[in-house]
Amino acid sequence: MNPLLEQFLSEAREFSEGIGNKLMQLENEPSDQDAINELFRLVHTLKGNSGLFTFPEMTRVLHAGEDLLGMVRDERIAYSRKLADCLLDAMDFVMALCEEIEETGVISSHHSQATERITDALLALMPALPDTAATDTAAKADRVTFATGPDVLLPLAGVPIATRMEALRHIEVGDPVYWIAYTPVKECFFQGDDPLHMARQVPGLLWGTVRPTQPMPPLAELDTYSCALEFHLLATASGEELAELFRYVSDQVKIVKVDLLWRAIPEDGPACAAKVEPIEIPSIVSEEESSALEAILSAQRQILGLDDQPAWKAGRTRAVAAVLRNLSQGLGLEAAASDIEEALSASLAAGHGAPLLQWMEKHRENLAHSPKQSESAMTSNGLPAQEAATSSMPAGETATPAADESIKFGRRAEDAVNGPRSLKVDQAKIDLLMNLIGELVVEKNALPYLAQRAEAQYGVRELSREIKAKYSVINRIADEMQYAIMQVRMMAVSVVFQRFPRLVRDISRKLGKEVQLVLEGEQTEADKNIIESLADPLIHIVRNSLDHGLETPEVRRASGKPEAGTLTIRAAQEADRVVIEIIDDGKGIDPIVIKRKAYEKGLIDEATLERIDDQEAVNLIFAAGLSTAAVVSDLSGRGVGMDVVRSAVDKMNGTVMVNSELGKGTKIRISLPLSMAVTQVMIVESDRQLFGIPLDHVIETVRVAKTAIRFIKQSMTAVLRGRVVPLKAINGLLGISAHAKANADDEFAVLLVQVGGEVLGLVVDSFRETIGVIQKPLGGFLSGLSAYSGSALMGDGSVLMILNIRELV
Amino acid sequence: MPIEFTTDQVIFRDIASVEEAESLLEWLQTTPQAKINLAACTHLHTANLQVLMAARPVIAVWPENIELRAWLKAALEPALEGSLNGNDDSHSR
Repeated sequence: MNPLLEQFLSEAREFSEGIGNKLMQLENEPSDQDAINELFRLVHTLKGNSGLFTFPEMTRVLHAGEDLLGMVRDERIAYSRKLADCLLDAMDFVMALCEEIEETGVISSHHSQATERITDALLALMPALPDTAATDTAAKADRVTFATGPDVLLPLAGVPIATRMEALRHIEVGDPVYWIAYTPVKECFFQGDDPLHMARQVPGLLWGTVRPTQPMPPLAELDTYSCALEFHLLATASGEELAELFRYVSDQVKIVKVDLLWRAIPEDGPACAAKVEPIEIPSIVSEEESSALEAILSAQRQILGLDDQPAWKAGRTRAVAAVLRNLSQGLGLEAAASDIEEALSASLAAGHGAPLLQWMEKHRENLAHSPKQSESAMTSNGLPAQEAATSSMPAGETATPAADESIKFGRRAEDAVNGPRSLKVDQAKIDLLMNLIGELVVEKNALPYLAQRAEAQYGVRELSREIKAKYSVINRIADEMQYAIMQVRMMAVSVVFQRFPRLVRDISRKLGKEVQLVLEGEQTEADKNIIESLADPLIHIVRNSLDHGLETPEVRRASGKPEAGTLTIRAAQEADRVVIEIIDDGKGIDPIVIKRKAYEKGLIDEATLERIDDQEAVNLIFAAGLSTAAVVSDLSGRGVGMDVVRSAVDKMNGTVMVNSELGKGTKIRISLPLSMAVTQVMIVESDRQLFGIPLDHVIETVRVAKTAIRFIKQSMTAVLRGRVVPLKAINGLLGISAHAKANADDEFAVLLVQVGGEVLGLVVDSFRETIGVIQKPLGGFLSGLSAYSGSALMGDGSVLMILNIRELV
Repeated sequence: MPIEFTTDQVIFRDIASVEEAESLLEWLQTTPQAKINLAACTHLHTANLQVLMAARPVIAVWPENIELRAWLKAALEPALEGSLNGNDDSHSR
């Protein structure tokens, strides 16, 4: 993929987000002229950019959108929800195209129907103005169109014969000749156009005429400032030159490349045909073709001239004859084709190529300069004549790219108002930097060990001190580097939030609910990975809130609430965590219903049903397989959703909690670490091995006397701070056969951890320090071990395995 | 003035801009027997041409500028246009 295209795709994504945002903004303030202008500018620029490449589908859709917005801007039509729907549809389509381009590099042709549909939908929104036709053509081909094909019959009969002869002479020598139909729009005088001047500027003009588009009205009714003329021109110039000249009125001109085929097109009436006749001129094998012919003929000559006697000689001779026969048929030399049979049989009989060579000599002249019907003969045989090939491009779809680009480049320059404010860097590069710094941090931790060794092992105290001094400097720099790179990776949550206005709007409309979305703390930052993995859970939650939480306007009115429900999504930073709250003022979650559902689905047993309080019951919505919606819709109700949320949040070492008040609303609170890069872990020792346990899970470390541990069946428990805590030996969980070691006072080291709202005691041998590590995921075979969430390098170079407590217990 | 109106003649000089079209139209409406002198004209704005095409006054002198002359003849002399302008002709006269 070339860099220009890459840039375009990344910009397109930005633009489309911007367009979506502006549409949302307009939804609230439909008369905001600034927003409309900005929206128009975005669509216009995106369209212009798309024109740099050959993506006619995209350009067409965008052009229609631009036209529509142009009308909104000029207040010719009002902004409406329907209009926004159509435009959003169009943007979705454009993004789909972008994705396809990103994957495959091209847009497959099956999109043309969708293009048609979306363009039509957009065009249908425009009022039927008298110049709709013009707008329509504009939408369908915003470029200097190089049309051709049987649908464009050129009214060449109007061209004087002498001019036509001249044109054909130009074509013969290979100069391009274009037919230009220029129909200025009515308002062109107001736009500062002088069509006659433009026509006079046409390079290589052969002929031109101007005539009224419709019969001239009586003088009294003539509108001086409304142009009702059309220009027909015949010019020999390059397509680029013409495109350049007409670039500002590209929607008003039709440029057709004239080739020799035009003379064969019957025009209306025998009179015209008669006029056309005299221009028949001796033809016409282009240079390229004649050199190809020459090559073929000389190859045959060479073959026939071979004097070896292979077994396949007869076959070879026949092959040569076949080539020659096809060649003469292709060139329309029927007589020569029949001659060749005789020459072939003579050659076969004689056992040498002489008769065929004689045939070639005889027809040499004809073959080299084939007669006039050759052109049409070749074309009718489906062999593409050069001109036919150039001109057989579908009209308006594949314009000469060079010409096209020259136009769009011009526009780009005008549009590029803002230079890039930020640097776009591939994420892989940042990740690499991150990893390198991670290594540096780990490596630097080896220096104190080195200092220790210098002193203890080699007894050089001086050196040890110097190493320590250097270490403190390196330590500071490494910390700053790490902080800096983390800042680079920080992204505002608005990246995720910005899709919600659209989502909420779409869903609430589908459900027939009125919802006001409030976004707060969009500038809160967190690591890119965190932000990105936040998107899916948040969407689930928002969908759930809209579907289950907020009521329909009627229900709300009946319960004395404002008709429009409020959905608040709030982000804030709390210490080293980012907290996201999704609050709705809907009907809340009924703990009794949840409990019953959970019981029905077998998620909880009878005892639990009796035991759990309302808060715990509400949290059951995160259990897999629970859905309270009576009807399964395409939004929710399939019983997946909230458990997905929980597992996604868990994966990021986050927590999710729900608070709900029946009839008043629900608040879901997600708490996530700011960055996943550095994890604080507590190191514990068991059976002479070290393990890391994420500090997020750790509540406290306690020593429990052997006597305080009680066995209930196989399970150990202890009463700590007035509550019963189940105990598990880490050796047992990891399948280590050794038993936990007690210390001298016969006490066990117990690490209290919190797992999914439950407190659990892990029995280990001893506690070590807590350190910040850069956790690396396990690769290869090890990645299947769910008991570990990753590994980390310690300062002395040893590997620390980080336990995944949630999976373990 | 690029356009000078006399009693029965209008003389174009140099370049006739779009602003002239309105007065040209008015003058032609009040002076049906008008003759047009384009000798010194190098270019006239399309709006003017359109007025001339609608009014079809007698062209007394064609422009000296060959290129412009060709254009104006093509636009104002129906003979060169073939059958296409025949109808307009009868209509406007």
